Amino acid sequence: MNQETNSRRDFLLTGLLIAGAATSCTPKDPFESGAEEQAVASGKKVKLLSVDGEIIEVDEAFLKPVPHLPPVTNTEARIGIPGKKFVMVIDLSRCKNLKKCQSACNHAHELNPGENWIKVEPMQEAEHTAPYWEPTTCMHCDEPPCVKVCPVDATFKRQDGLVLIDSDRCIGCRFCMAACPYSARVFNWGEPEISPAIAAQPYSCETSIPQKKGTVSKCDFCADMTREGMLPHCVSACPNGVFAFGDMNEDTVTNGAETFRFSDLIRDKAGYRLMEDLGTKPSVYYLPPVARNFPFESGLENDKLQNK
Amino acid sequence: MKPLNKIFYVIIATAYLLAGGHGFAQAPAKGDLSLGVNYFITNNQVPYVMVRVKTKVDGRFQTVAGIPMTLFLDKDSVGTTIGKVVTNEQGEATAFIPPSLKKQWNTSVKHTFLASFDGNKKYEPAKGDLTVGKAKILISTTDGKSITASVFEMKDTTWTPVKGVELKIAVKRLGGDLPVNETPTFTTDSTGTVAADFKRDTIPGDAKGNIVLIAKIEDNDQYGNLSIEKTVPWGAKFTAVNKFNERTLFATRDKAPIWLQLIAYSIMLAVWIILAYLVFNVFKIKRLGA
Amino acid sequence: MENLVLDEKIIKDLLPQKFGKAGKIWVAVLVAICLVGAYAYYRQLRYGLIVTSMRDYVSWGIYISNFVFFVAISLVGSLITAVFRLAGVKWGSPLTRIAEIIAVAAIIFASLIIIVDMGSPERFYNLFTHGRIQSPIIWDVIVITTYFFISLLLLYYPLLPDIQILLRFKAGTNKRLYAFYNFIGSFWKNTPEQIKLSEKAINILCIAIIPVAFTIHTVTSWLFATTYRPGWDSTNFGAYFIAGAFLVGAGAVVVAMYVFRKAYHLEKYITENHFEKMGRVLVLLAMLYLYFNINEFLTPFFKMKESESAYLNGLFSGDFALLFWFAILTGMIIPTVVLLFKKGRKPLPVFIAGIMIVVGAWFKRYLIVTPTLLHPFLPMHDVPESYHHYFPSWEEWAITMGSLAGALLIITILARIFPIIPIQETITEQHETVE
Repeated sequence: MNQETNSRRDFLLTGLLIAGAATSCTPKDPFESGAEEQAVASGKKVKLLSVDGEIIEVDEAFLKPVPHLPPVTNTEARIGIPGKKFVMVIDLSRCKNLKKCQSACNHAHELNPGENWIKVEPMQEAEHTAPYWEPTTCMHCDEPPCVKVCPVDATFKRQDGLVLIDSDRCIGCRFCMAACPYSARVFNWGEPEISPAIAAQPYSCETSIPQKKGTVSKCDFCADMTREGMLPHCVSACPNGVFAFGDMNEDTVTNGAETFRFSDLIRDKAGYRLMEDLGTKPSVYYLPPVARNFPFESGLENDKLQNK
Repeated sequence: MKPLNKIFYVIIATAYLLAGGHGFAQAPAKGDLSLGVNYFITNNQVPYVMVRVKTKVDGRFQTVAGIPMTLFLDKDSVGTTIGKVVTNEQGEATAFIPPSLKKQWNTSVKHTFLASFDGNKKYEPAKGDLTVGKAKILISTTDGKSITASVFEMKDTTWTPVKGVELKIAVKRLGGDLPVNETPTFTTDSTGTVAADFKRDTIPGDAKGNIVLIAKIEDNDQYGNLSIEKTVPWGAKFTAVNKFNERTLFATRDKAPIWLQLIAYSIMLAVWIILAYLVFNVFKIKRLGA
Repeated sequence: MENLVLDEKIIKDLLPQKFGKAGKIWVAVLVAICLVGAYAYYRQLRYGLIVTSMRDYVSWGIYISNFVFFVAISLVGSLITAVFRLAGVKWGSPLTRIAEIIAVAAIIFASLIIIVDMGSPERFYNLFTHGRIQSPIIWDVIVITTYFFISLLLLYYPLLPDIQILLRFKAGTNKRLYAFYNFIGSFWKNTPEQIKLSEKAINILCIAIIPVAFTIHTVTSWLFATTYRPGWDSTNFGAYFIAGAFLVGAGAVVVAMYVFRKAYHLEKYITENHFEKMGRVLVLLAMLYLYFNINEFLTPFFKMKESESAYLNGLFSGDFALLFWFAILTGMIIPTVVLLFKKGRKPLPVFIAGIMIVVGAWFKRYLIVTPTLLHPFLPMHDVPESYHHYFPSWEEWAITMGSLAGALLIITILARIFPIIPIQETITEQHETVE
């Protein structure tokens, strides 16, 4: 609670950067143009100092990023962000099972010890085919079998493609876990080991925090981060750029360091999705493990900790 | 860290132990923080300072949330305070330059930003700073889908073109920017200008085909982070279609398919009417026996 | 005159009796098991499902297999009562009450055990306030509720004439019981109009219960068959489940027949002929179920798809082989062989075959649920070691045993307050044979 008021004060005190050119400032610069079209003026003006050393007034709505937006309501969290269609590309040729994605994810979502939303699996299709490491997240399927079977609308599909969970609604029947062919879902079998301050927070479908006893949870594509235009934690945590994330409607994915045109990437590297024959239409694409950056064996050492 | 990266990690002190006096137990060693100061200016408008706070845990840097700091312009005094900030969950705190510093701002073409943390129970006091010169960046486009961007710095009182600055020209996208062609970075010539051709044909824009171009200088030693945006109608017209409101098996309860509802509810109704009749029948029998 | 004497004798034989010493011990044991189960459930409520051995991969364990078992047994009510009645099978009528009592007890515990399996049972009401008609669980909730009511009605209607007899002969024995009989059946006067209405209602019930009973078991099979998992992803599942349900239900009835016959000395009413006939029925049902099993396992075995091979090998020759072949042998093949012989259809062998069928069926349900969950499409990885296998914890066993004991307790109590063989019907049939 205290933290929240702090950050709110932080926001009110300092405000943040200006995204587009503010409408009210006199545009001395003829090159400035309409990136601000997307934002709608709120009418609230803030006085700031410009680089030219002049005082200008800026509409509050153009302050960006806005890290402490009022928390989205349950209804908003269930509908999702209009005009977006989130997509992830996982490049198998770059993965050496460092599991940085996993630890960043576990930390960011306050997961129970032993609980992993991201799993990195050693895969080998057949005896004489090459082994490789395959990180799996929730596939955020476009025809999600888990959502089909949920009896109470606790898990739902949003218009931006995300499949999220409302832990305040979930009755813990675990039908979704049985229905998910990717074994993406985990269950809070006991009382989660989280700090009382976090446990006391109201649950948000977008942060998936706090985890609750007797409910299902899973990868949420960091819906709170993407709402603010930031990348999911696994994407930024991976030092090898395995994960690329973006908006399918923008035809772009990025791993933070490199940005690709999604359609080119998938075409050039023959991207595919897991278990296409099941008809689940996942939002996660994989690039095959060809021309690898690391040998498979380099990931074995790191695997021993969790998998004896 | 890239050599160009001018983020000063100021590590103040190594860990020390507070020797316990009479009645005091030995206190645990406090952590060290490093305050990385970054300077940003977007669209040549309002400059702002972002401080990223990190600490080393088990040999790895982790960001620290909830660290209160005071930011100053040029010198650490009351009159030059930019503001008091607290880091968020990403370990970042941001502040713009308040109008009260107008005089101080106009005294020089170069400024130093200071961040100061007074220390708390867990961490030692820490400071960080960054010096940048005032600069601006301009972008223009031609109908032939080529883009020029120029970089100027403030010398005395005039904007002067700068040579040899690396910048990126890209299409603005979620989480990252897509370069307009294969060249990842451009370097300005003697007129402070770079030119790039737009090679991202048919990339989806908005409903009118508008996309936002961005030219940016990242982590420059002398100028910090500068960017400028321009909207151009070079993209493909794109309107998102989604099945969110369709009646499907994976839709919400109020969007159940009609056929399913028809079948399910009619069966239910039929069976329960029979059951209701049978219960009613019990009462009928009861009346006969009364 | 002769008839009246006979009637008196029948009534005297069939009136519910107070518990004897054995009965009291039996009830005490059942209550004790239930209490242990209740304590285990208290622990589960307090600490969460962590007290079970279920984990992320085996997310459904013996609770769900026990649920399927209860649903299966409950199907018997419709078999004995409705199918026999509609088919004009006269010899079945002394067994109808037993079948209906078993059905009601089983359906009650099926719905209780599914609540036990829920991670957040305090949100049970969400099923009604937020229910999604797209989810097979909601179908199951609807169908179980419907079947429960229809079973109650089917128990209640044929009871009405008997309650009138009870009121007549039990006057003054136990005040509260008398008041209860009075409340539920004092209005029954055996008038022709009442009999006509009741007959009609029972006919409607017998017709209605068959599709509902098929639905409840088919929908329960769809909880599995609507997923992609190897071993569950089968179009055969509904029929496979129904065949199994008929078998285990009939098995439960012969067990109950034998026990009641011994305990209440009903040799004249539940005759050797009944065991002979039920034995034949069991052979038919066991072979039917065996047929569906072959259908269910032979074709995937023939193909050995990659996604299913580990699962199938686990059943046929791996970790689950012992249990699998035990369930097939004791649940189907041995009873069939025994019951094919005339001597095998004497009461005791039929009783033993019935027990084998019921025990085999319980393990069969376990084999339907767990092995599949241990063979997901992607390898089990990045999870604690304990997630890789499943053996139920003591709490799971206690709750499961408690629920079985609870169902037996309900059967016992219902047999204590109601005649387990329809008295009025027996009298009527007696009159018909005398004439």
